[in-house]
Amino acid sequence: MKKAVYIVFILIQVNLYSQYNNLWIPDTLSGTQFNLTIKDTFAQLVSKGQQTITSGINGKFWGPTLFVNKGDEIHMNVVNKLNESTTIHWHGMHLPAVMDGGPHQIIPPNTVWQPYWKIKNNAATYWYHPHLHEKTQEQITKGIGGLLIVRDEIESALALPRTYSVDDIPLVLTDRDFNSSNQFTVVPYGDSMLTNMTLRAQYSLPAQVVRFRILNAAIERSFNLGFSDGRNFAVISSDGGLLNAPVTVTKYLLHAGERIEILVNLSGQKGTSVDLQAFNSLLGNNIPGGEQFTQGPFSNFLGHKDFNILHINIGNQTTNPITTIPTKLTTNELLKVADVNITRKLTLSDSAGVSGILGPNAFIINHKLFDINYIEYKVPIGNTEIWEITSSSIFGHPFHIHDVEFNIISINGAAPDPALAGWKDVVFIPGRNGGGPGNPGTPSVVKFIAKFEDYADALHPFMYHCHISLHEDEGMMGQFVVVGSPTDVDDKNKDAFLFSVYPNPTSNKLFIHFSDPSQSAYYIKIIDVLGRVKMMLPSPQIQNGIDLSSLQKGVYKIQVTENRFKNNYTQTFIIN
Amino acid sequence: MYFKILFLSIVFCFNPWRYNLFGQKSIKDFALLNVDGKYIGTKDFENARGFIIIFTCNHCPFAKLYTKRINELQKKYSKHQIHLLAINSMDSLVFEDEGWTTMKARAIQEKYNFPYLQDPEQVVAKLFNAEFTPSAYVLWKVNNEWVVKYRGAIDDNGENPKIATPYISNTISELLGNKKVTNPETFAMGCRIYYKKT
Repeated sequence: MKKAVYIVFILIQVNLYSQYNNLWIPDTLSGTQFNLTIKDTFAQLVSKGQQTITSGINGKFWGPTLFVNKGDEIHMNVVNKLNESTTIHWHGMHLPAVMDGGPHQIIPPNTVWQPYWKIKNNAATYWYHPHLHEKTQEQITKGIGGLLIVRDEIESALALPRTYSVDDIPLVLTDRDFNSSNQFTVVPYGDSMLTNMTLRAQYSLPAQVVRFRILNAAIERSFNLGFSDGRNFAVISSDGGLLNAPVTVTKYLLHAGERIEILVNLSGQKGTSVDLQAFNSLLGNNIPGGEQFTQGPFSNFLGHKDFNILHINIGNQTTNPITTIPTKLTTNELLKVADVNITRKLTLSDSAGVSGILGPNAFIINHKLFDINYIEYKVPIGNTEIWEITSSSIFGHPFHIHDVEFNIISINGAAPDPALAGWKDVVFIPGRNGGGPGNPGTPSVVKFIAKFEDYADALHPFMYHCHISLHEDEGMMGQFVVVGSPTDVDDKNKDAFLFSVYPNPTSNKLFIHFSDPSQSAYYIKIIDVLGRVKMMLPSPQIQNGIDLSSLQKGVYKIQVTENRFKNNYTQTFIIN
Repeated sequence: MYFKILFLSIVFCFNPWRYNLFGQKSIKDFALLNVDGKYIGTKDFENARGFIIIFTCNHCPFAKLYTKRINELQKKYSKHQIHLLAINSMDSLVFEDEGWTTMKARAIQEKYNFPYLQDPEQVVAKLFNAEFTPSAYVLWKVNNEWVVKYRGAIDDNGENPKIATPYISNTISELLGNKKVTNPETFAMGCRIYYKKT
């Protein structure tokens, strides 16, 4: 009888474990040179049946986690091996607009893009993802993206878990829809939760303080994070850096595009299990993921429900465990309202009833859809600005701005929660209060303060947009430039800009000589005889020549956009 | 009634997807440049009973999984006068790895035992409304027309051929047995064929 009980017990345990899949942890790259190849691929995401067609960066799905150090100049070698164009945006990074990877930095198929920048961001978890206008939702759905973790001296000096995949765990939250052939369908809400691209994920963690770096990479859904036993956890970092001190919570609502880092103390719990869950049944229907659509394009199995994100099995401690949560992290010098030069007022609204706009389901910023040729704001370099966002939209939107990390001043008049009081690049703008036919309700108002230091560029804009990819693709986006002087945009001096290239023909490197030594290249493109752009080099460092070893023999053109007036000049050269 | 017949006739004549009297889609004859430098098409196989048409390409990793299976299909069915034609309809201007020279190199390297045809203007792809690589069609001769009897995936498991449902083989077995095709359409998947803007 005892034997039978044991056998039944073992079978139950096996069955319980077999309903979970081991959490996949992305590979890592570190240093200052990163090779990222974006490609069409496939992965066995559903355990039975056909593989799912995906896109990946270096691998089968998603991309490597990049570790970089504050102060380093990093160089990216991004190769697009998809059979369509894309872009790669470095979300949260403070860098020149021409390196930003927004809708203007389109990488055609089989083209190399080589941005580089100095890491000026504080230690935190950032990410990279496509940003091709009208294709962002589709390309993110296919799996293009990755984490970018910045380390700095302040964070490194703290007694925090940082052994990647052991006690420092990246969690990329998203949801997907699979059709009967296991292929993705491009939808705003999927029926299945994927954690690090793993269905029904589980992971073993040591019985000590562990760190989760959590990214909401969903197309639309917010996740109301908490643990199945209601335990506390400590938020230590928001989008752009450490908080002054850990903030203890039992729930955290994470919106699309946002990141947080949390600490959970699993000490003394070896042999037990706990689940990280999304308590989305607590969300209202004006919060992404809180709706209860039963039919139509937004219907899904996870809407307004609680569901598992990660099943955690607690095991042995590591040899040098972190067993306490620090009480102090850093001292953030937040931006001061007294330094503000201007308050910019933006509006979010529904497009219903607005003539000339898409149908009633689009959402818009400043009463207009995105126009890639229209610059909404010219921000003087060095400005400290308040951006005041008033939303009469029925729905809440996670608002993201490129280039800067900001501090939230207020949300509907109230100071932000402590976990939101640090550096952010995504802020949730709640839907309006009340309202209906003939009644506008009370709009939501969110204010944040940002400083636009360095990287003036009147030609390449930065973006601001709703980070619900569907809304972004439908036009809920605008753009601004940071300008250094009043002459940046309009002055088109046609004085001769002379440059020569050598050696010509060349076998692998090409050097550029400017007749005026004060001149420099704002952008260089290498183009083949059929007009295909083969290399995109923003603000290239050309003193050591341009490495052409990835190109085949033949005739090419080098197109130089000179820095002063942004005019284009072209020369022909040969690779032999 | 007269105008209805006239209208339907006009639609029938101008529709590249022709329909026979039983409502089945048929394909007109075509010929494309093979990797051996010659033009090959449906008319080159005088006694053909049917064709297996596979849209594939050089770079797609999912399509590459099927090389051996495509070779096996050709070996198995060519003796039954059912011939396999592989077609590359990728835009080689945008994606130069899909050019004819690379096609030829790949055919030699992978030992293709079937014609591998280039469709640079994507004309044949449009005839079939092909969307992905790989995607498969079975054409069968019905009343001197090439009727599409199957469209979709080659099978339902790219990585594990041993456990895959062989859609093409099942279709051809039924056709050879003069039976109705029980599964005429499945979901094709792979790398998307992007059509040039005209």
